[in-house]
Amino acid sequence: MRLIRPLLPFLLWLPLAVSAQPAFDAPPERSTDGGFTLAWEADGPVVLEQATGPDHGDARTLYEGGDTSTVISGLPDGEYRFRLRAADADAWADEATVVVEHHSLARAFGFFAVGAVVFLVLIGAILRGRPRD
Amino acid sequence: MTGLDDPILPTSIAWGLLAAFSVLWVVLGWWLGRRNKTAEDHMLAGRNVGLALATATAMATWVTANTTMTAPQLALQLGVWGMLGYSLGALGLILFAPLARRIRELMPEGFTSGDFIRLRYGKFTWRVFLVVSLIYAFGWLVSMAMAGGVLINALAGIDYRVGMTVILTVCVLYTLLGGLRAVIGTDFIQTVIIIAGAAFIAWLTIDKVGFEAIHFNLMEERPELLSLLFPAAIMFLFNNLLFGVGEIFHSNVWWSRAFAFGRNVGFRAYLFGGLLWLPIPIVAGFIALATPALGINVPAADMVGPLVAAEVLGLTGAIVVFIVVFAALASSLDSLLAATSDLVTRDIYRGHIRPQASEQHQFHATKVIVVLLGLLTWLAASYRGEIPIVGSLAELLYFTGAFVASAIWPIVAGLYWKKANPQGAAWSMILGSGIGLTSYFLIGFYVAALVGAAVSLAVMVLTTWLMPRPFDWGRLARSDAEVPA
Repeated sequence: MRLIRPLLPFLLWLPLAVSAQPAFDAPPERSTDGGFTLAWEADGPVVLEQATGPDHGDARTLYEGGDTSTVISGLPDGEYRFRLRAADADAWADEATVVVEHHSLARAFGFFAVGAVVFLVLIGAILRGRPRD
Repeated sequence: MTGLDDPILPTSIAWGLLAAFSVLWVVLGWWLGRRNKTAEDHMLAGRNVGLALATATAMATWVTANTTMTAPQLALQLGVWGMLGYSLGALGLILFAPLARRIRELMPEGFTSGDFIRLRYGKFTWRVFLVVSLIYAFGWLVSMAMAGGVLINALAGIDYRVGMTVILTVCVLYTLLGGLRAVIGTDFIQTVIIIAGAAFIAWLTIDKVGFEAIHFNLMEERPELLSLLFPAAIMFLFNNLLFGVGEIFHSNVWWSRAFAFGRNVGFRAYLFGGLLWLPIPIVAGFIALATPALGINVPAADMVGPLVAAEVLGLTGAIVVFIVVFAALASSLDSLLAATSDLVTRDIYRGHIRPQASEQHQFHATKVIVVLLGLLTWLAASYRGEIPIVGSLAELLYFTGAFVASAIWPIVAGLYWKKANPQGAAWSMILGSGIGLTSYFLIGFYVAALVGAAVSLAVMVLTTWLMPRPFDWGRLARSDAEVPA
């Protein structure tokens, strides 16, 4: 114990001395509009890649720098894989998978039709103008 | 790839611009409002605003943080349809033109939209309306305060809370000093700045990036943004239109102007204001589509407008964007502060707490309420990203969509249908808001207003048909008339 006591302050600081690996912060699992925000926690600049296959064969760099989030949008239906690493490291630190499945066109045009009806009734009500006494 | 970690506008320039325009708006507010002596002067600018000022204030107030910053966000999230859909918000102003004329005819002595609902439908419906209206007003106030903070943070790297606090304080100060007269006067100057600045930015963006590069990169990286069959965007089209209509038809911001504009001015002012507004969201939204071509990282969707403009246009662009958005923010924040404080003073303080309050007493109460509203807004905007609803500008804004769209039919039926009844009006707002909100959480932010408006229409038509209750239009002309039970 007598030997360990002088080392205690160093041992307590040890976990802080090791820099934390970048990690995604609650990434979404699904998206119905082809868009979402990916956020991460990191001590410094990171590299973020996007791919469509599990082997990341078609990976492309989405972002490289010191920001801690990025907005992704306009993706078609599919499974998208994202991975993250510190800019000065070679090994990937974290991965996330997001499934994009858009609303069906039938549902989309259903809402469109309801909106069109409400709008046309509104125009009609205003154009009739004067109250019907 | 660039991002938020390397802001384009030097902090010293940002502070200089902020200080210069803050002083300009506050001094103008004081100068324009120095002749206000009564609550009516302060709230309705003497009820005789002319066509030029009226058109400018309609257009500038509708060009908000939401137009200059949410339009790019929607273009980034929902593509071409999102951008065009946002511009349909102009129909809210255009369709309000005939309503403004009718409001002025029916209620020559009216003060607020709450007055109309109270006299037309009675106390229960009036209280439901006040809840709907205040939720919306507060959501809009918070979204604009947030936009101020986001803008300064995105362009200059100044802490979000610091920027938001400064912009909010400036708007509270000059609204406090000048009332509606100051709001309308500053709106005129802000309109000129907004139109000139937006045209300048769009021209430079097209000149520097080019349509071909924008199209190619979008097809490569975000193809759905160019798809005409993008499901969420198709659902969004009428949602946005009805949201805009609901915002304008029910809000005291637009009713107070209908009361303040001179006779025969309201119709033309709202029509011209809407036509002038139409291209602004397309111009503001278009630049967001250049994001992939420029390789810009967008950390939060509501930052995309200022980030892209500053990246494309450099320091000059950043300065122009800063001035334009600050003008757009100020022109709407002040209007909303003034109109909401009028509504609270007239409908809550005088209507529920001190019915015998004198003119002078109301004059002072209006000012205290402006300060309290400012403080509450500051508190809520401080928690951007920490409270689920107060996430991004669009999420917060469209959360209020269910409420406002459900108020469209009680207003339209109240103005034009002689047999519309109070229970129908109240329940169309309650059910429209409730079911609209449910769809917000179950389906997405892009359908809440549409569902709210559809449910509200069904309830209003059904109850008017099943329980008709004839109304004497003459009651509306007497602002202090006894209300129906």
